[in-house]
Amino acid sequence: MNVAVMKTKAEQALTETFETVVGKLPGSAAVKERRAEAIGTFSSLGLPHRRIEEWKYTDLRANFKEVLPPAVDDGSPLTIAELIVALGPLAHVAAHRVAFVNGYHRPELDDVNEATGLEVAALGRALASAPASDIDSLTRAEGSGAVVALNAAFMTDGAIVRVADKAVVEKPLLVVFVRSGGERQSVAVRNVISVGAGATATIIEAHVVLPGATKDAQSNALSEVTVGDAATLNHVKVAVDEGKCFHLSNWDIRLGADANYRGFQFSSGLGLARNEVNVLYQGEGGKIDLSGAYLVRGHEHVDTTLVVDHAVPRCDSRELFKGVLDGHGRGVFQGKVIVRPDAQKTDGKQMSQALMLSEDAEFDSKPELEIFADDVVCGHGTTSAELDPDLLFYCRSRGIPESEARALMIESFIGEAIDKVENTELHAALMTLATNWLAGQVRG
Amino acid sequence: MLEIKNLHVKLADEDRMILKGLSLTVPKGEVHAIMGPNGSGKSTLAYVLAGREGYEVTEGDILWNGESILDMEPDERAAKGVFLAFQYPMEIPGVAGLTFLRTALNALRKKRGEPELTTPAFMKLIKEKGDKLNIDIEMLKRPVNVGFSGGEKKRSEILQMALLEPTLCVLDETDSGLDIDALRIVSEGVNALRDKDRAFLVITHYQRLLNYIVPDKVHVLADGRIQKTGGKELALELEKSGYADYTGKAA
Repeated sequence: MNVAVMKTKAEQALTETFETVVGKLPGSAAVKERRAEAIGTFSSLGLPHRRIEEWKYTDLRANFKEVLPPAVDDGSPLTIAELIVALGPLAHVAAHRVAFVNGYHRPELDDVNEATGLEVAALGRALASAPASDIDSLTRAEGSGAVVALNAAFMTDGAIVRVADKAVVEKPLLVVFVRSGGERQSVAVRNVISVGAGATATIIEAHVVLPGATKDAQSNALSEVTVGDAATLNHVKVAVDEGKCFHLSNWDIRLGADANYRGFQFSSGLGLARNEVNVLYQGEGGKIDLSGAYLVRGHEHVDTTLVVDHAVPRCDSRELFKGVLDGHGRGVFQGKVIVRPDAQKTDGKQMSQALMLSEDAEFDSKPELEIFADDVVCGHGTTSAELDPDLLFYCRSRGIPESEARALMIESFIGEAIDKVENTELHAALMTLATNWLAGQVRG
Repeated sequence: MLEIKNLHVKLADEDRMILKGLSLTVPKGEVHAIMGPNGSGKSTLAYVLAGREGYEVTEGDILWNGESILDMEPDERAAKGVFLAFQYPMEIPGVAGLTFLRTALNALRKKRGEPELTTPAFMKLIKEKGDKLNIDIEMLKRPVNVGFSGGEKKRSEILQMALLEPTLCVLDETDSGLDIDALRIVSEGVNALRDKDRAFLVITHYQRLLNYIVPDKVHVLADGRIQKTGGKELALELEKSGYADYTGKAA
């Protein structure tokens, strides 16, 4: 049977755009072949829409109306001072730094002291020069749908991070993606992170905007993460924007035996965001603690979609996501936990909470537990609530004005998630970002 | 001076009157106790003084230092010196006690036209006030009242009072849930604040608290009105005879 699938304008435009830019994208002939395969995959899948269960609440086909031109590597200068302004409170976090502007590496903005055991390279360069044997790991796009396929087709750059076995990298690595310039743009970036057995590291991905840059932007960011046996990775993503951008993010996490992974995502000012995290346990005894805070107002929409696959026994998962929803904002949480038949002694807990500041805000929460083993502990919860009038009264009776009392309550709510971040400087920076959002600013 | 004049109050969403013409005057420098049976309107009076939503004043007025406070928001009343020590102090997860106290103190100082306190000055002040109430700084680093025992919560209320230095202190059943040691600490905290410029309204069901916080006057509140006013000996009488005389039925 022949089914003629109607393509939307955006779907057509994405394929056409690919043809015009593919010659300029980095990579060897082998990489270009992979890119062509990926756009083919995308073309057959199309943009995900609400009739696909995983995209029920975030209809990309309906929302993705216009394809913005891929950013070009125009080499326009960005000073360290500007980078620091774009980073806002995050600039106060002592860290190694690797920087990308409009999707391309800017080595002059890097600050990586060759810490023992930490190796950082740029993906763009690697795509051009990597031996054939490495190409698979840099271009992987299998089984993950249209958004990842688009990433594989269009990706320009990103960080390749390797932490050597047993290395303890004290200072976090900040991988910062800055948008600058007045041209409306789309970027696709990818990080490939591997933490060796027994190693410990902290990696912060920041997606930030230089003041005055275009607000019209689309970004597709993917991180492929492998955490080795008995390794510990603290992994944080901070995306702070100005209310209009599309932010499609995928984290693909694979854990070795006894690995310990702590992930955190902070989102504010994202016009439409899909934060997807896929976790696969590959060895027994793995632990994840996944949490996040998202702040939504206006007509913004932030979707957190998690799939945690307990494929092996004796693994723990903890999830805590908190959203503050104002205006006509919408928060979506989908948390799938799969416990495979052999995955006995699985211990999984999930909590998703929304604080509704407006009657027009919407929260959609869908926990999904698929448990095929019988000796497991799994729980989930979801709540949505308004600010507690009794607590507001208590604060106000102590002289705290209403606006301050409300801010205190909201900080208290979101702070519980941010408390999951152990690095004290980063914790302080995230609290400042939350406070700034409450004060209606973009950065401090 | 606190002047409550012919106060009539009902719940905003019910017709039943709770306070039915309550009149009372507490001059500065005095401690007045309000005693009464359950359901007599004691807590309603406390909440209406502090400005909680959900109550409607249908008649009468409350004047503090000659000024009506009925149209003031709770934080404006606080700025005028009104403080309510809650019967059930609230827990605020995620907000450290120190942050809460500092926010409140600085908000009040700002409204009173005083500069905000620096961190060292604030910490010194809090240590000094906390020591007297047997409250450790570590306890204040934890979220407000979360996981505190009943006694700890009440001490924390009195610490807030000592720090914010209100001029009209309303204590709602401050003795409930306290063992004898906690009662002594809390009462000492209150007595230390007695001052010629400060008025106290101590609401309690039992006479026991008044052994520690000795009142200048005792008012009996029943059926929404003050039924009798006397000296501290009235509290002892009530302890013996109960409230039956005022409610028309045996307690």
